[in-house]
Amino acid sequence: MDGKIIVITSGKGGVGKTTATASIGAALALEGKRVVVVDMDIGLRNLDVVMGLENRIIFNVVDAMKGKCKLKQAAIKDRRIQNLFLIPASQSDNKNVLSPEEVVLFSEKLRREFDFVLMDCPAGIERGFENSVVAADEAVVICTPDVSSVRDADRVIGLLYARSITPKLVVNRIVPDMVEKGDMLSHIDMVDVLSIELIGLVPMDDQVVISTNTGAPLVLQKKSMAGTAFRRIAMRLNGMTDLPIRVPKSQERFWKKISTRLGIGK
Amino acid sequence: MLNGFFRKVMGGDKTDSKEVAKKRLKFALIYDKLEVSDNTLKNLHQDIVEVISRYFEIDQEAFKLDIRRSDELSALIVNTPILSAKHKSAGPR
Repeated sequence: MDGKIIVITSGKGGVGKTTATASIGAALALEGKRVVVVDMDIGLRNLDVVMGLENRIIFNVVDAMKGKCKLKQAAIKDRRIQNLFLIPASQSDNKNVLSPEEVVLFSEKLRREFDFVLMDCPAGIERGFENSVVAADEAVVICTPDVSSVRDADRVIGLLYARSITPKLVVNRIVPDMVEKGDMLSHIDMVDVLSIELIGLVPMDDQVVISTNTGAPLVLQKKSMAGTAFRRIAMRLNGMTDLPIRVPKSQERFWKKISTRLGIGK
Repeated sequence: MLNGFFRKVMGGDKTDSKEVAKKRLKFALIYDKLEVSDNTLKNLHQDIVEVISRYFEIDQEAFKLDIRRSDELSALIVNTPILSAKHKSAGPR
């Protein structure tokens, strides 16, 4: 097997990288691929709780990279979704405990065992970022429609280009009502500012909070709009490049909206 | 679009806050990209002194290199007193 390594990154923290990694990973596994998601946020691990696998950690990514355990021992198998594995971050180590060389070496091992390796990159552009992108073939940049997130995304996109990686953009937490009112940057504005190819649009969705609370995979929630969006992103990453990108639409009814505008409604 | 039309009908003419965001972002990104680290500037300084010294005898102490920014453009300003021209080894290496 000669798998693909994809880094999920953003620059800014708190824009939904970890949820995106967990969801895209799960969705790729549902597509029948053998997937491992790797938490590269050494010292601040979170991918395990988001995926509901925190109780099953024995070894972590640092153990695996330092040769203290075998790859198979560090990769936790998800019991709800076939062919999905998690390698958790270590919680006690410092970010500088791993060197890029160690990451490259370990990534080659992962590549042989899996179809897709997703690296959940920490916030920031220091060593943790360096380690997460050093072995990557592709990159997905997660960005929310606000100025700070877009600015940081631009910085990260520049750093990825410098490594000859052409990243793709996911716009996360879109509030269609606000976009339609002109009070939120649209994906068109963001693509315009960042000059980058789009790979998915994810609406703001309460189900994300609920799924994270319980540790249940978002992509298994049938009614979750964010879950559906992540599944479609996974399909595109898996080769269905012509799958159209759906623009999140306001849930409000058309006539109600017009009557509100005209001052009749409410 | 439709929203814009209704807004006009209703007599409101406030600018979309996202347009403000977009404009601010574009400027911020341009400014971010103009920022040069001290280290880069130091290296550039050394390189320029080296190149000019091939052609001229210059006062290296008085050599000045600056990036000047205004609203519309950024300029690299190099200022150096020339002590004398070198005649012998002038030309490319």
